[in-house]
Amino acid sequence: METFIQLTVNGLSNGAILALAALGFVLIYKATGVINFAQGEFLLIAGFVIWFMLVVVGVPWLVGIAVAVLVGIALGLVIERLVLRPMVGEPVISVIMVTIGLSAVLGAIVQIIWGTRPRAFPDFIPSGTVQLFGATVAQNRLWALGIVAVALAGFGLFYTRSREGIAMRAVADDQQAALAQGISVRRTFAVAWALAGVSAVFGGALIANLIGVSGAISSFGLLVFPVVILGGLDSVPGAVVGGAIVGLLTSYVGGYIGGGLETVIPYMALLAILLVKPYGLFGQLRIERV
Amino acid sequence: MTSMQTRATAAIAAVVLAGAMSACGSDDDKSSAGGANTKQTVKVGGLFDLSGPTADVSTPYSEGVKGFVKDYNERGDGPRIELTAEDYKYDVAVAERLYSRYKADGVVAVQGWGTGDTEALRGKVTADRLPFMSASYAETLTDPKQTPFNFVAATSYSDQMRLALEWVGEEAQGAEVASFHHDSPFGESPQEAGKAKAKVLGLGFKTYAMPAEATDYVPQLRRAKAQGAKFVVIQNVSTPAAQLAKNIDEQGLDMKIVCLNWCGDELFVELAGKAADGAVGVLPFGPTSVEADGLAPPREFLAKNGGNLDKEGLHYVQGWYTMALMAEGIKRAADQGKVTGDAIRQALEAMDAFDTGGVSAPVDFTAQSHAGMKGSKLYEVKDGKWAKLTDLASVS
Amino acid sequence: MASATGVYHTSYRADLALRHTRAEYFRLALALATIAALPFVVSPYWLTVLNQIGIAIIGAIGLNLLVGFTGQISLGQGGFLAVGAYTSGLLAARAGLPFGLDVACAMLVTAAMGTLFGLPALRLKGLYLAIATLASQQIILWVVTHWDAVTGGTSALVVPPAELLGWQIYGDMAWYWVIAFCAGVATLAATNLMRTGIGRAFVAIRDHDVAASVIGVDPFRYKLLAFFISSAFVGLAGALTARYNLIVTWERFTLDVSILYLAMIIVGGLGSVAGAIYGAAFMIAVPVWIEELSRSLSSLAFLQPDLPAIQQLIPGLTIVLSLVFEPRGIARIWQRIKDYFRLWPFRH
Repeated sequence: METFIQLTVNGLSNGAILALAALGFVLIYKATGVINFAQGEFLLIAGFVIWFMLVVVGVPWLVGIAVAVLVGIALGLVIERLVLRPMVGEPVISVIMVTIGLSAVLGAIVQIIWGTRPRAFPDFIPSGTVQLFGATVAQNRLWALGIVAVALAGFGLFYTRSREGIAMRAVADDQQAALAQGISVRRTFAVAWALAGVSAVFGGALIANLIGVSGAISSFGLLVFPVVILGGLDSVPGAVVGGAIVGLLTSYVGGYIGGGLETVIPYMALLAILLVKPYGLFGQLRIERV
Repeated sequence: MTSMQTRATAAIAAVVLAGAMSACGSDDDKSSAGGANTKQTVKVGGLFDLSGPTADVSTPYSEGVKGFVKDYNERGDGPRIELTAEDYKYDVAVAERLYSRYKADGVVAVQGWGTGDTEALRGKVTADRLPFMSASYAETLTDPKQTPFNFVAATSYSDQMRLALEWVGEEAQGAEVASFHHDSPFGESPQEAGKAKAKVLGLGFKTYAMPAEATDYVPQLRRAKAQGAKFVVIQNVSTPAAQLAKNIDEQGLDMKIVCLNWCGDELFVELAGKAADGAVGVLPFGPTSVEADGLAPPREFLAKNGGNLDKEGLHYVQGWYTMALMAEGIKRAADQGKVTGDAIRQALEAMDAFDTGGVSAPVDFTAQSHAGMKGSKLYEVKDGKWAKLTDLASVS
Repeated sequence: MASATGVYHTSYRADLALRHTRAEYFRLALALATIAALPFVVSPYWLTVLNQIGIAIIGAIGLNLLVGFTGQISLGQGGFLAVGAYTSGLLAARAGLPFGLDVACAMLVTAAMGTLFGLPALRLKGLYLAIATLASQQIILWVVTHWDAVTGGTSALVVPPAELLGWQIYGDMAWYWVIAFCAGVATLAATNLMRTGIGRAFVAIRDHDVAASVIGVDPFRYKLLAFFISSAFVGLAGALTARYNLIVTWERFTLDVSILYLAMIIVGGLGSVAGAIYGAAFMIAVPVWIEELSRSLSSLAFLQPDLPAIQQLIPGLTIVLSLVFEPRGIARIWQRIKDYFRLWPFRH
């Protein structure tokens, strides 16, 4: 029983981190219809910037996070303007390819600036453990859960209550109609990318806190795909549920079966769920028009 | 066509043309300049991962190899070695291309890096009769009947595992051992040997694969706890190993870590922090924090060139001495006559034990076995640094 | 897109012909002559590169059939290459099958696997399908590294040298002709396929599958057929990889390879067989050129430590820039160059 609780808490907290990392995807896709293969590199850059500010420059962590947020926003805006704007109207696969190329470019830039050696991330999240229902849980996991909850609540409010958020949903629904309403589609795209950059800061900080600052952060970005597809590409709660499912599955399989199966289980679950729900669990069903 | 499209087309056409021109050019003309004209120049090819997944350890290793060659050429101990070191990014197709180029350039030996390139090229080096040394210490490479041109400079993974288990057996009779490993052929390499040895020693032994993109290994540790494991052997690189160490510490598990060579380095200690204290390591090449005579040459060389051995770490030393070994073979082959792949191979096999000045066990190849080291010292992490734990232990 | 003027067909046969004008025939002859002459002219290093390009061409053509012509995004290329390579390697090494037979078996097995993993395509579209194929890539790779009984998961699979009618195919030069022949057959097969009703059905599905089904093109049947045929090509490429390199290791079939092939067909030009060829050549040649370039730049010491990262940067940058400036790829650029000369001094 204790094992089960441990695995569950572990799985949920990992899932929360995955969901936070996935948030960037969903944000961009919801607003612009683009899937950003470079999201892993956004996380990587965020992690490195925070590390750089906290360790090399030596500022308090609030300042470090603030700088990283600014860098994230700038990165999102620059990429949207220079790379994605010219690709408007091109087939989906070309846009995917551009983001893939971008991920290689960003990864290489990080290597040029900071090299390939992994760095230890300063513990700005307390690193002790607590006892929860008889299971030992690392504090940084609980913080991760907390931060994710706040982030998701924040985005939920953003999309339903704020003007920009509603504008974003309008643009995602029908660009022409949104334009007719006077919503600046260009600005909405820019805001979406900037927000993705910001969410990458929090996701990257949490991940770096767990596994250190290294190229491994961007390969973590790969695991996000099953999460977003499971949950539905354009659904924020879907990302949460997808994250929870992937996190729990990996945890249970790793804890009860093992043998490396936990690596492949998320993908098998993905295939199984897609066969039943082709747009993910919460994704918007595309109604076909001839 | 719009003017922008015209310009774009012209630009891309120009680039393609330029590239084609450069390709059709002749091969590089690396003239063997300098030095006494009686000295021969010998070409060696190098394959390293400088920007791929294992770049963090391959970079200092490659620096060690390059550093040794520079130092060696300056000292003029033997024929001049011309090393062409390239980054193959752990992409097997690139490794094959580079190998083909090295072969065409007329190299007499190849310094490889990891399991990927070593496995992919082992058939070719055998057919082309070029000695191949790398940092992949799989036992399958040590049998001259199978791979006559592969030389494993350090203690093989299987031997490291045997040494680790022997130490565990001495520490605690009949203990349970959890063998955590990278989920790949590299990780699986010593597991069979581990199972066999554990049986002989009367130890419990279970293997646990560490999935690649995991943020923690708590599920696997729970199973290890259920097994009653008191010792955790890790066959993985430093970053996941450090994560595992931190998890063990967080969960308050009473498990002693025994690292095999790829997590036994400074990076592991740095990333794991206090969780690394007390970890034991089978380090075929000793850390820079433990003094040994053999550390002097690389230390001096680096100091002369504005570097610092402690900053580079033990992988620098690893590369240094692996190349030193090959250079010794080249030198002896040159003394006998023409330097060819076969000559180097024979020289390496005929050589007496190569002394690395206490940095590692002496390296000895024979015609029956290309496993260079039959033992290793064990080290322990104390106060954030690796310190000597046992003297040279040989595999029994 | 302009076509040659003064071309007047009087029969269906003439209309369907692959080449219409004298200029086109001339270019074709030139290309063939170059291919025949190349192995004698280039260095041994470039011969290896050309062989790798040749195999990539076959794989890229296969992928293009699926992605470019039928519109089914697939990230599973690496996995299917692995299936082809391991099947061929195992049959040759364990069952001692002769060269042509194991390749044919590999093609069939890969085609079957492709169809199996293509089943999700019947329900999924666009990005969802892409990620489902990503799942297939990861699952296949996992099976290959863990299924010891069949693949000897832990160690590399050694493949005996290929023999054809008593002639041992060994070495880059010999393999060049085999690979060039296979690539030629693949190109011809793909081009011919696109001239048939099946090819037109593929394109119809890509353009709008609902509308296609309205006019009588069964999307189920043709989507699965697309996966089947495409995977057969990929299986051929995988089998050739195994027989050519004499060793099969799992590291050559990772997700990076899938992405590389996608890059090949997108940068080359989706939906065109020639595009797949240009793209394959380009994506493999660019890193090689960069290596050559960086070797000559290595004298600039200040760049030294960054060179590997720069080498990593440039292919990515090339993809981004080429897509931003010409989203329809090299095939389109080549078409524009041809048009420019044909229409000169007019603009269009």
